[in-house]
Order: sequence, then structure tokens, then C-alpha cells
Amino acid sequence: MEKFKQNPLVKKLGFNRIVLCGVLILMYIFFSILVPAVTGSQFAGMSHIMGALNYAYFLGFLSLGVTFVIATGGIDFSIGPVMFCCGLVSGYCLMTYNMPLPVCLLISVLIGALFGLWNGYLVAYWSVPPFIVSMASMNMAKGIASVFTKTQSVSWPRSTDANGWFRNLIKMGGIPTGLICFLVAAVICAIILNNTRFGRYIICLGSNKEAVRLSGVDTRKWQMFAYLMCGLLVGIATIFFVGTYTTVQPGYGDQYNNEAIAGCVMGGTSMAGGLASIGGTVIGVFIISLLQEGILALKLTKDVQLIITGLIVIVAVYADVMARRRKN
Amino acid sequence: MGEVILQMKDIDKSFPGVHALDHVGFEVRRGEVHALMGENGAGKSTLMKVLTGIYKKDSGSIIYKGKEVEFHNTREAQDNGVVIVHQELNMVGDLSVAQNIFIGREPRKGLRIDDKKMIEDSKALFDRLRIDIDPTEKMSELTVGKQQMCEIAKAISHNAELIIFDEPSAALTEKEIEDLFSIIRDLKAQDLGIIYISHRMDEIKVITDRVTVMRDGGYVGTLITADCTKEDIINMMVGRVIYEKPKEKSLVPDDAPVVLKVEHLNAGKMVQDVSFELRKGEILGFSGLMGAGRTETARAIFGADPKQSGDIYVNGEKVEINSPEDAVKHGIGYLSEDRRRFGIVVGKSIVENSTMATLEEYMNGIFINKGKEKEAAERYINELGTKTPSSDQLVVNLSGGNQQKVVIAKWLVRNSDILIFDEPTRGIDVGAKNEIYKLMNRLAAEGKSIIMISSEMTEILRMSDRIVIMCEGRKTGEVKIEEATQELIMDKATRQMS
Amino acid sequence: MQKKKSLGILSDQKGIVFIIVILLYIFFSIISKDFRKYSTLVMMLDSTYYILLMAIGVTFPLITGGVDLSIGTGMICYGLTGGYLVVQKGFPTWVGLLVAVSFGLIIGIINGVLIAIMDLPPFLATLCTCMMTRGLGSICAKSFAIPWPGAKADGGWFHAIFKLTVGAGRKAMNYPVGVIVLAVIVLIMSFVLNHTRVGRYTIAIGSNKEATRLSGVNVKAYHITAYAISGLFAGLASLAYAAAIPTIQPGTGAGLELDAIGGAIVGGVSPTGGAGSIIGTMLGVFVIQLLKTGLPYIGLEANWQQIVTGLVLIGAVLIDVIKQRRAALEG
Repeated sequence: MEKFKQNPLVKKLGFNRIVLCGVLILMYIFFSILVPAVTGSQFAGMSHIMGALNYAYFLGFLSLGVTFVIATGGIDFSIGPVMFCCGLVSGYCLMTYNMPLPVCLLISVLIGALFGLWNGYLVAYWSVPPFIVSMASMNMAKGIASVFTKTQSVSWPRSTDANGWFRNLIKMGGIPTGLICFLVAAVICAIILNNTRFGRYIICLGSNKEAVRLSGVDTRKWQMFAYLMCGLLVGIATIFFVGTYTTVQPGYGDQYNNEAIAGCVMGGTSMAGGLASIGGTVIGVFIISLLQEGILALKLTKDVQLIITGLIVIVAVYADVMARRRKN
Repeated sequence: MGEVILQMKDIDKSFPGVHALDHVGFEVRRGEVHALMGENGAGKSTLMKVLTGIYKKDSGSIIYKGKEVEFHNTREAQDNGVVIVHQELNMVGDLSVAQNIFIGREPRKGLRIDDKKMIEDSKALFDRLRIDIDPTEKMSELTVGKQQMCEIAKAISHNAELIIFDEPSAALTEKEIEDLFSIIRDLKAQDLGIIYISHRMDEIKVITDRVTVMRDGGYVGTLITADCTKEDIINMMVGRVIYEKPKEKSLVPDDAPVVLKVEHLNAGKMVQDVSFELRKGEILGFSGLMGAGRTETARAIFGADPKQSGDIYVNGEKVEINSPEDAVKHGIGYLSEDRRRFGIVVGKSIVENSTMATLEEYMNGIFINKGKEKEAAERYINELGTKTPSSDQLVVNLSGGNQQKVVIAKWLVRNSDILIFDEPTRGIDVGAKNEIYKLMNRLAAEGKSIIMISSEMTEILRMSDRIVIMCEGRKTGEVKIEEATQELIMDKATRQMS
Repeated sequence: MQKKKSLGILSDQKGIVFIIVILLYIFFSIISKDFRKYSTLVMMLDSTYYILLMAIGVTFPLITGGVDLSIGTGMICYGLTGGYLVVQKGFPTWVGLLVAVSFGLIIGIINGVLIAIMDLPPFLATLCTCMMTRGLGSICAKSFAIPWPGAKADGGWFHAIFKLTVGAGRKAMNYPVGVIVLAVIVLIMSFVLNHTRVGRYTIAIGSNKEATRLSGVNVKAYHITAYAISGLFAGLASLAYAAAIPTIQPGTGAGLELDAIGGAIVGGVSPTGGAGSIIGTMLGVFVIQLLKTGLPYIGLEANWQQIVTGLVLIGAVLIDVIKQRRAALEG
């Protein structure tokens, strides 16, 4: 095992990520055997993979976003409801006020960004604990969406509708363009995290904020930017969500918080901050997406998934806690 | 002196990468005050932590009151009469004095905690020790000195038979130290065993009966205090590394320009109306007791903490410093007393730490130029003689002295002209300490100006060209090195301002 | 010190919050005639009991410097599970109540173990249990919405703990006896927080955990206890919820924790731990509940309540932050 870990190729790819890929493959095999045995229908094959991928797009953007925040040692669990708020408000603009689609998509991204900015401002400049900010934003997002749409759900145009062209972002012909978008976004995020000042500062301040501040870095600004980045990605996630699932209902969205955080922490981003892996997040998102598809295929309810996701987060974070304990 | 109450034999303890205790032996008798001395990092605190169960020993034996014991935690040690008065204060700020003293063993009436009895008992305890503290006051509202006295009272209230004082006087004024000594004499008369850890040679001579010296995790020897001189002890402490004599005279020419001028600086209770000047090429020592406000002054100058009023001039020009960012822009660098918390990002590499204050100069458009960055880091690894296998090494894996060099490199990469060294050699072993001293002298000779905050008198006298002394948030004196003596500095450092 | 005393009631956050409660009540009463009605008061109290119970419980984790986000969905989960046994399985009411409360206690202890023993960040651990209890509630109740027995029905006696209905038909008179019950609970928990070891160590953990540990206190046990209390009170809250809301819907409950935690923080519990009081929490909950109940009476639809509660919470924390900054500068 040690030898395998020391292999230069393994080191480059990251041992943890290789293990995660293994988990992903095993899970696929597991469902491929279990689903036919339990329900009699096939699991292997394109349709379930596509189902899982559809789920992975918007979740992936959420997870990428929250990776930036967790890297700073913070948390944002308002992302799910904020995504719903974006989808509802911009969708309402589209359907009720007949605003042009590009404007509506922009509104969606803008709302996400504003929430990110608000969260980041409170955390960075006013030292409000992130969990309090998240809790408040989560409810404010729900409230704003409900007030704006008068508690109506919103349906986005279908691919055959006049404004349906934006769904090409998710699937064009038979090509899963959503996958390409997600992977491109992931690569950009990885570059931002590893090769820019912003990335360097947020990871370092996640590890030791005071030391970075005393080096003459405006830590508050960069910390706020991390939340802003998260908000932007949540706004983009909305586009992929409504493009896949069409209808958005007010008052929901909480469950995606946990799933996005699960994808992120499973991928090796440390809840204590200072350690983030975009590659890990991507694989983590695929695992969560496959899990949800598998659970659906097993004809189990969403409730089971809530419980399993919760357990995954607990185990992943505990593993991180143990790893840090061993280091000290 | 009575019978032997504690005997520690052949204690060995290793941490990853460090042999913290190397077969150390130590004994204490009843009715004795036994000093435990050694440089920072010599292993005194580790030895005491092994005794009180905070660390588990790797080998060796502890014989307490004639029986071999191994305490698993401080509670167990306490229950057996072994208590420690910590160097760092261990107080629950939100609880009252009485609540702190009796925490973990509150007297009860049924389910209810008997606060009244606690307060009465605390009063009785304070009366016995002749300490004047109101037991109902909130702990966080006491001065550091009073908190320390509470800690001592708490230790004594445990029916202790063996008390360990870990640098108890660091935060105390002269008057409080006298009170402390009379308490210790009382305890001694009651046949308790007392271990006294301190750096202050004068105190050792006054209050202790025997001295055990440790160096680099090993036992060096034990002396009867009355029969030895300060020099004997110092020689044992420093071993082959011989300390230079105090600086004879300032190396800074009288006409050297003033690079930093601070006027009437105010920042809370700990910084009141502080003014001083720093000249080019000068090492300005800041001396004083723990809690005298030196670090707070440095942090206020550096913009790390908000200040209420006061002017700062850099190279004759008045500057506005409201954040570390501003300070760094004006060429000021700050090396914190607590490296791990304020100096370095331990989980990151030497490269990343070295360019932390200068990253904008290592950019290629929006991307970090990692090659250039590495080059700079490696230049300073060579220049400062940082011992590391590579520049990609995580800082967490370096020794204290080398971590300090990384912090210095950070400011040299930035080309800062004014450097504030806050306790630069705390927790660094003797050899590395000397290297840091040489480095500071070199930097000063190259025209950098240095403010050095230090609690070690030898360090102050050895390094400084001029010395500023603070007490309770005020500047109480300024002496040239030519006139400086330990006694003079100590006198000013304990002067009561009110 | 002298200065503080001369300010009297205003020196204490509790005093200020108390005045805010009075002012809010007067404000809404002046603007809306309907708000002044006795029935509005009773209705408001009905929905205050369960929030207050949750808030009293969550005060303990908050004082340790943690948080319990699982109380909202947890309360629903326990209510569903207990109710399922009573309504669908025909168990006597007391069994259902006991199951609900014990379920809460168990989840609380699990939270405590995750946080105190396994060192997980409190918000994360309880966010997970929040989602998990939401799933569990649905599974335990087989996704049924659960109507606990009504006040008049067999086994509906527990309603009388909170609201005593005397007479019938139009002459029926509702007495909010829950006020007395809650007052007793507030006094008991105040005693626990201020005069027992559980409370003392809860404060000590929030103030300086390491020093508390070094004083020989079994920090882990008391840390778990704080979360157990929170869970227990979420269980008790489920009774009040069942008494106030005719049918418990699975999948709900998210957001209710905000009302409780917000109330506690408005009432002076420090979000960074170490300080807080049960009386303060109670007053804070009144503020939240007055806003929640009052807003529709001044023409704002119910959805505004979530936004306002969020802002009030942030505002309360900001006041705390500013106070601390000022203290840091002076000290």
C-alpha cells in the first residue's frame, strides 16, 4: 500500500482521488447488480447515467461554489434555497413579465452573486459566524422568493418552447453539453484556486487568517470574494437546475445544501479550511449524483437519500478530523 | 529539608522529530523550593507535563510519596496533591473568581451549587494568602497579575502537597512578587514540596534552596543555591554555547536619520501615550514584564489592532496606518511573538509563506508566476541558512528556529526597512537563537531598523543599541545601552505609574 | 462598574429586549384592532410554546459556542413518530408522547457525541442530523401526515397542558395555561443554567474549554449533556406543536430552528458562547413571535416573516459584534 502511495503517478493524481474513483466505480457496479435484483429493471446503460449526469450539473456548480467558501474555513448552507430563489425570481420575470431570456438568466446569476456578497460581507467585515449568516440567508432567500412569486411555483420553458434554446447548455442533440460546461467550469475553478492570488489567499487564510492579515493582505476583501464566488456559481447552478427540472417550488431547496457540501468534503476539502481540491469535488459530486439515481432506481424515497447523504458528510468530515489529529 | 516527596527517574519522552526529554532525573524534598532552570525548549515544561499527566512518558518512573505513580490527567494529579500553576493562564473568563477557583469541585447542596459557601471559602483563602481580590468579580475583568494570583490560590486550595510554579512571576509587579514569595515561604514552612520554574536569576537566588538545570531535553546537574553563583547556573544552562557579553556601546552613529517616529500613541488600556523614535540601523530593545503593553504597542503601530490616537512618521513623513496592509506598504514588517498563530501558515510550503506579503510582485497577469516565486524563496533559504530539504517543504515540518527564518524571509522578500521582532527567540533552541542574533545584527548593519521586544534580560542587553522600557501600558523609561543595567531596567519595568 | 449600574434596566440586554417586547405589542395593538383581540393573543401563545421550548433547549449548545440546527426538523420528526404510534397503531397517547420526547433525547445525544467526542463542527454535525431527521420523520410515519388526537377527541388530553378549553360551542373559553407551564419550565431551566453543575460547565465550556478540561471537569460528558438538553426540548416542543397544529406534515420544520435560535440570540445569548440566560431567550422568542404574528396585521404577508426574522437575527449578532469590538478596544 505504502509503495502504491509513493508511486509518482499516484502522487500526482492524489491517492484520495484514486480511492474516490474506485468508490464511484464500485457504486456503479453495486447498483447495476442490486437494482435488477430488487426491482427487475436494468440499471446499467445510458439512461441512468444520463439521469445521474443531469443531477451532477447543477449540484456540481453548487459544490464548486461551496468549495471556495469551505476553503476559507467557513460554510454556506444557504446555497440550496438561494438557488431556488434565483430560479423563482428570474423564472417569474421570464414567465410573468415576459422579460427576455438572457436578461432573466443574468438576473439569476446576479441574485446569486448578491446573496454571496451579502453573506461574505457579514462574515468577513462583521465577523458574524458563517452558520448564522447561512441560517439567516437561507430563510431570507425562501422569504424573498415567496414574496416575489406570491408563493406560486414557476415553470421554465421546455426545449420545444420559444425560449427553450437555453437547454442546449445541458443537452444538445445527444451530446451532454452540460457535462462539458461543468468540466470546463471545474478546470477554471481549479486554475483560480491554484494559480491566482485570490486562490492562494483564500486557502492560506482558511489555514491561518491572522498570519495572512499580518502579512499585509486585505483578508476581509478576499474572504468576501470567496463567498461572492460561491454566490456566482450558485446563480449559474440555477440555470442548469431549471434547464433540467423545469419547475421550481418556493420554500424548498435545503436538501441540496447537504448534497453540495457532501460532494465537497468527500473530495478532500477540509472543513477546517486551508485545504481544497476541485478535482476531488468533481468526483464527489458524481458519487452523490450516482447515489441519488441509484436510490431512485431502487424505488426508495428521497428520505433515504437525505439520511445517506447526512451519514456521508459525517463520515467524510470525521475522516478529515482524524487525519488532522494524527498530524498533530 | 525533609524527606524526598517526589523522585523522577530516567524520564524519556519523544515527539515526532524531537527528543524532548532524554533520560531526565529530578527530585524534590518536603519543605524545599526547588528551582528548575533551562533555556526555552530545554524541556522543563515537558517534564512537568509528564509529571501532571498531560503527557504520557515513554519510559522512566515517577515515585511520589514513596510509591510509583502515573497520573493520567491533571485531575488525577490534583486529587493526589500535585498541582501546577500554569505559565499561561487557564481561566474561564465568563465565570467569577470564586467559580473559577472551585471549578470541577463545587460544593453542593443537593443539586444546587452552593455559591455562598464558595464565595466564603474563597474569601478565607484570600485572607490566608493576604490577597485582596473580590471573589464575586468576573475573572475576565481582573488584571493579569490578579488572575495569576487567583490561579495560585486555586492551586493551593487543592490541599496540595507538591506545587509547581511555572514562571509565576512573569506577569507580576515587584509588590506582587514579594507577596508571592511570602506565600511560598508559608507553604514551605508547612512542609510542602515546591517546584519553581523561572528565568529570573535574582529570584532563584532569593527564594530557592536547590537548582536543577536542564539543557536540550537532558539533565545537566543539581546545585545547592546558596553555594553557587549566577555564573555557575548560566554556564550549566548554556553549555558549550557561550553568550556574548552585553553590548558595550551603541553601534548607531548619533546622526543616523530617524526612520520611525511614534508620538502619543493610544490604543486601549495597554498602550497609553507611547512615544519613541527609531533610527536607521538601530536595534531598539523593548523591555518590560509580561502584560506591560509592548506587544500591543507593536500591533497598534503595525495596524493589527485599532488605535485611538497618535501619530506615526515613517522617514519623516506622517503616515496613516489603519491596517497591516498600510503598514506593509510603508515598509514595516512584524514578526509575532506567536509564530504559529500569527507568523506562518503552517500547512503551506516555504515558498507560499515567503511570498505572502509580496505576492503581487510575482504575478504573470492574473496568474502566479510559480517559478519566480520559488526562486525568491530559495534565495532566502540560502541567505538565511534555513535548514530544509526543499523549498516545497511544508512549514509545519520545520523546527522553531527555521520557522522563524521563514517569517524573516517573508519580510526580506518584501524588502521591509523597519522590522518589529516580537520575542524573536521564544521557543527556539540555543544554537538557532545565536543564528537569529547574528542575523539581526547583520540586518542592522545593512541599514535595516529593528524594534526587538524581549522578556529576556540577557537578550535585551546583548542586542539593543537603546532600550525602551514599558510598564502597565506606558513607557516608563528609555536608556542607552551604555547606561543600561539589569537593575535599572527592572526598576523601571516595575514602576507603578498610578 | 458605577456607570453600568446607573443605567439600570438598560445596562442589561434583557432589559432592552423586555422594553422592545412591550413596544412591539403596543405598536401592533395601536395599528391593528384585530391584533388586540384575546383570541389573537391565545393564537400567538399557541405558536410560541413550541418555539420557546426549542429555544430554551438550544440555548445550552449556543452557550457552549456551538449550535443545534436539527431542532426544527427534529421536532417534526419526533411529533410524526409519536403521532404515528398513537394515530395509526392505536397506542395510548402517553406512549406517543414518551416516544417523541425520548426520540428527541436520543438525537440530542447523537449530536453531542458527534460534536464532543468526534470533534465535528457543531453546525455541520447538526446540519446533517437536521436532514437526517427530516428523512427519518417521513420514514417513521410512512410518509403520512399525522393528525394527533384533537382536544375533544380521545387521547387529546395533552392539549390541556397548553390550552384549557372550558365550556363548549360559542361560549367556549380558552385559557392559555401553557403560559404557566412554560413559566415553570423557564424557572427550572434558569435554575439549571445558573445553579447546577450542568449549567456552570456549559458556560465554562463556551468560555474556555481547555481551561475547563484542565480543571478536571469531564468536559465531553457535559458537552454532550448540552446537546442532549437541546434534543430533549425539541422532543418536548413536538408535544406543544402537536397541540397547536392540527396535522403534522412530513418534510416540514426547516426554518423553525431559525425562530428559536434567533430568539435566543436576540435575547442575549452570545453566538460565540460563554454567555446567555434563559429569561433572555424567552424575551427574545417573544420578539420573534410578535413580529411573526404581527406582520400580517399591518398588511405584510406571512412570507415577509422569514425575511424579517433573518434580518433581526443578523442585527442581533451585529450588536454583539460591535459591543465586543468596543470592549476589545477599551480593555
